[in-house]
Amino acid sequence: MSNITTSQTIGPFSHEAWKWATDMTPAADGITISGIIYDGAGVPINDAQIEAWQPAAAKAEAEAAIPGFRRVPSGEDGGFSFQLSKVDPAPGEPVAYITVFARGLVKHQFTAVFLADDAGLSQSAILDQVPSARRATLLADRNADGSYRWDIHMQGDRETVFFDYE
Amino acid sequence: MKFDAIAPGIYPELVYPPYKSTTHRGPTQPLLRVDAPVPVSQNIAPKSRILLPNDADLTAQGEAAPLGEKIVVTGRIVDEDGKPVRNSLLEVWQCNAAGRYRHKKDQHDAPLDPNFNGWGKMMTDDDGRYRLITIKPGPYPWGNHDKAWRPAHIHFSLFGNVYAQRLVTQMYFPNDPLFAYDPIFQSIPDEAARQRLISRFSIEETVSDQMLGYEFDIVLRGRDATPFGI
Repeated sequence: MSNITTSQTIGPFSHEAWKWATDMTPAADGITISGIIYDGAGVPINDAQIEAWQPAAAKAEAEAAIPGFRRVPSGEDGGFSFQLSKVDPAPGEPVAYITVFARGLVKHQFTAVFLADDAGLSQSAILDQVPSARRATLLADRNADGSYRWDIHMQGDRETVFFDYE
Repeated sequence: MKFDAIAPGIYPELVYPPYKSTTHRGPTQPLLRVDAPVPVSQNIAPKSRILLPNDADLTAQGEAAPLGEKIVVTGRIVDEDGKPVRNSLLEVWQCNAAGRYRHKKDQHDAPLDPNFNGWGKMMTDDDGRYRLITIKPGPYPWGNHDKAWRPAHIHFSLFGNVYAQRLVTQMYFPNDPLFAYDPIFQSIPDEAARQRLISRFSIEETVSDQMLGYEFDIVLRGRDATPFGI
């Protein structure tokens, strides 16, 4: 039996304590990914924290306080948005690894986001492990203005694929 | 690093109806075990300049001492092999001694303390140790059900040494009478896993006539996966 320390929810009161890292988010002129996080009843989650990690940006953001890291709270409408550096991920890698936290979520959830128009998708060893019917939950679609749209669904027909890393 | 599957019962139940907001928020599909080299071998790397004076002493962030019982909380962060998790970012947050968070959505009718923010951060040392000075948080009501009061707790957010070790949890205090009534604590099926979230009173860590000491060790997921022959 593992002796690991178990998880507890982030609760509703993380914002002030986590804000320092939100403010560290570099104002990048890069890839914008926006979306809404929904619960299983289709209600937007207004107290989530989304962390995005872009390992490929480590060099481009070498001077940043936390290179390649973004932390954004969801708004009252469940909306979130983060900007990534415009660097190419290694072929098949997600554009960002994502961690989701919220009140009522007793353990954080890992997922990842890929750009739907990334030519490297077919080579993705991670996507290859995702049942094809659910792959679309990890794809951010390109909007007309060049930004990307990616929603997170905690439950339901479109439940986002959440990972447990081996 | 290698991350073994976690036995059922150690993590809380993602949908645990006594904790009402889990009902629509906990994922219902089984987690997908994936082989992904980056999250188990690399990590977010904050610069040391993120640490501000008094980040590890929550009693020293105001103009004067906050009200309440000053305590020191210390412990080691290790992985499943017992190896120290060194130079790793740890964030904490909590309510004040009266049970009130400095947060616009906290409606509990208890006073804010002008000298207490209730948040901090630090890095572990070469032995995986952290040490935090704070005020013992109070219990507070949270509206989940009739007489729903949270046991006193400090929130911990840990970044580990590789990305997949990320953990957010809560540290409790010994002998809290509210454990049995708290669905957040009780959402963890395994009794031993629940007990591991309870800090230990420590006379050794107690600092003379200044503050009582508590120890809280943390074991993050992950084993050293050195292959044979290396």
